[in-house]
Amino acid sequence: MKKGKHLIQRGLILLLGNEKTQPITLPLFAVFLSLLLGMVIIAVTGANPVNAYQNLLQGCGILPKPSYAAYKNSFTDFTGFLNAWTPMLFASLAVAVALKAGMFNIGVSGQMLISGFMASILAGYADGLSGLTAKFLVLLVGIAVGMLSGGLVGWLKYRFRVNEVVSTIMLNYILLYAVSFCIHMWYINPVSRQSAPVTQASRLTLLDVSAGGMKIDIPLGILLAIGIAFLLRFLLNRTTFGFEIRAAGKSPEAARYAGMQVGKNMVLAMMLSGALSGLAGVTYYLGYFGSIRPKVLPAVGFDAIAVALLGNSNPAGVILSSFLISILEKGNTYMSSRSGVPGEIASVITGILLLVSACTGYIRYRINRLKECGPNTEEKGRKGRRGEQSV
Amino acid sequence: MNRMIIDGLAFALPLFIMAVGGIYSEQSGITNLALEGFQGVGAFTGALFVIMSADVLKPGSLPQILLAFAAAMAGGAVYSLLHALLCIRFRANMVISGIVINILAMAVTAYLTKQLNPLLTGAPSDKFQLGVSMRITIPVLSNIPVLGVVFKDLYLFEIWIVLLAVIAWFILYKSRFGLRLRACGDHPQAVDAAGVRVERIRLWAVLVSGALSGFAGMCFAYSISASFSSAIYAGYGYLAIAAMIFGNWKILPALGACLLFGFARSGGNEIVLLLQMPGAYADLVMILPYLLTLLLLVFFSGNNQAPRALGEVYEKGKR
Repeated sequence: MKKGKHLIQRGLILLLGNEKTQPITLPLFAVFLSLLLGMVIIAVTGANPVNAYQNLLQGCGILPKPSYAAYKNSFTDFTGFLNAWTPMLFASLAVAVALKAGMFNIGVSGQMLISGFMASILAGYADGLSGLTAKFLVLLVGIAVGMLSGGLVGWLKYRFRVNEVVSTIMLNYILLYAVSFCIHMWYINPVSRQSAPVTQASRLTLLDVSAGGMKIDIPLGILLAIGIAFLLRFLLNRTTFGFEIRAAGKSPEAARYAGMQVGKNMVLAMMLSGALSGLAGVTYYLGYFGSIRPKVLPAVGFDAIAVALLGNSNPAGVILSSFLISILEKGNTYMSSRSGVPGEIASVITGILLLVSACTGYIRYRINRLKECGPNTEEKGRKGRRGEQSV
Repeated sequence: MNRMIIDGLAFALPLFIMAVGGIYSEQSGITNLALEGFQGVGAFTGALFVIMSADVLKPGSLPQILLAFAAAMAGGAVYSLLHALLCIRFRANMVISGIVINILAMAVTAYLTKQLNPLLTGAPSDKFQLGVSMRITIPVLSNIPVLGVVFKDLYLFEIWIVLLAVIAWFILYKSRFGLRLRACGDHPQAVDAAGVRVERIRLWAVLVSGALSGFAGMCFAYSISASFSSAIYAGYGYLAIAAMIFGNWKILPALGACLLFGFARSGGNEIVLLLQMPGAYADLVMILPYLLTLLLLVFFSGNNQAPRALGEVYEKGKR
């Protein structure tokens, strides 16, 4: 028994001990651990966990399904998945940028909603626009509105010291009910109980394009999203602006002492974050969907917090982590219809994943301790720690 | 006018007791955004108890309501252990931990409600039906002109909340434990030097916030929604946090903030009814408490003094 424990400890040190690769190995370990826990939960409900995970991948077009409806194959499933992934990627980048500047943007959902709504009424309902103009307008309005709503939060924090967590949450609810009121008053579609659908020209996803005997939905936003992710990586790591943002996030006092304008950077970072939320909003409401459901905040905005944390708020990491979470969210419909596992399990697994990734700091601490003391002296090490700390 | 005061109190008091829980936790130095999750899990356990005990106890009877609230407090407290574990033992970022705990609470309770409903009630549904808790009118006091309306049509839980709040106030400001708790949030090293375990006091503080939030969640489930479903996560926890910040982390000012939210909401509803406006205007009324919070925060955040060690993991060696 004791020998087994040491073996596990050695294995963990070997896998996770290298401090240079820890930013990659620890999130992977967190993912692995939570998928394992998810399997246990699925097994408890009586379904086969391996099949369930397979169905998740099949639902996203990554593995082939046993049978397909007319005009559909795994490629159309995959573009459908890309369609759902796009807003998730934008939203997660929005959270990540704010996190880099040391702020929590919990308001991504509200910023998405208002941007999507403004883009719908300013460009989405306009007749007679050519496809290109309409799409360009939609993007422009989305970015502008998002930027304003994000910048407001930054300004409130900078000018009035309003805690951004509380202000974004309040804004979420204010925007939610305000948009819902406007939709109910002027833009309601009485049949679907949603806002009236936007014109095809303004949709950021080309619907039912016939090619090779298939009908494909082509999400245009995904290329933009991945491009922007790399642009952001450059901006954060290679420019003065990025450096100042990160400095303000790590230690505002030090940044101020070094002569940086922390307040200005905070507002700018929130504007950038808001603009990305705006893009998430338009790709969600005018790409993935074509209308807005009143009185519902998009869950994407909250899941994005998880995704950004999991991806270490690093744009490249966020691409990977948002890909993973999108598989969970998108594939669960197919999974629940095939293997009878309730679709809510996907959010439970996401929640567990979040929980474990919130603990990665502690896991790193323990692993590094284990490594220093050696696995056999763990007990001694633990005692030593108390002594050392009370010095 | 009477309706407005009665409804306003029924909304404000649960909010208040949740804010008291938040004050306990944050005065001890643990940032607590997880109130929303605690109240949801509390409401879930309470509602689960009501459904499971339906055969034994008469639905809506006093023992059932009492035990349901006890179950809700226990549920909230047990779930809050997770936040304590993450913040105290695992040294996670407290803001992140709070948000994670809210997301997890929402996912798990929605999932369990859907899974358990067919087993317990035989019908597939994503909510537990509860009914509304009984209301009472205090005989003599309610006859006082003008002020008497406060004692009219009270939910039972409103009286319990007042009792709980008085006890909580006394413990926090007049007892040795309360003094130590507040010291943990301002200067934990001093508490440690006095020979008191900081971690243990913080754990108790988080547990109190979990129990009180669970109680508040059950109040909402028993009054506004008359059921448990994921609609319980309507941001009440965040409103309570806003009330706490606006009340400068003190119990009595927080009560004022909660009353303001409650009356803003019920007053707005009253106006919509009076002027016979279309249903969509109810959405505008819903904005009021949130908008008011934001505006108040804009005006008062500058002068606020948060506990000095708020959000800091306590490390013994640190000076």
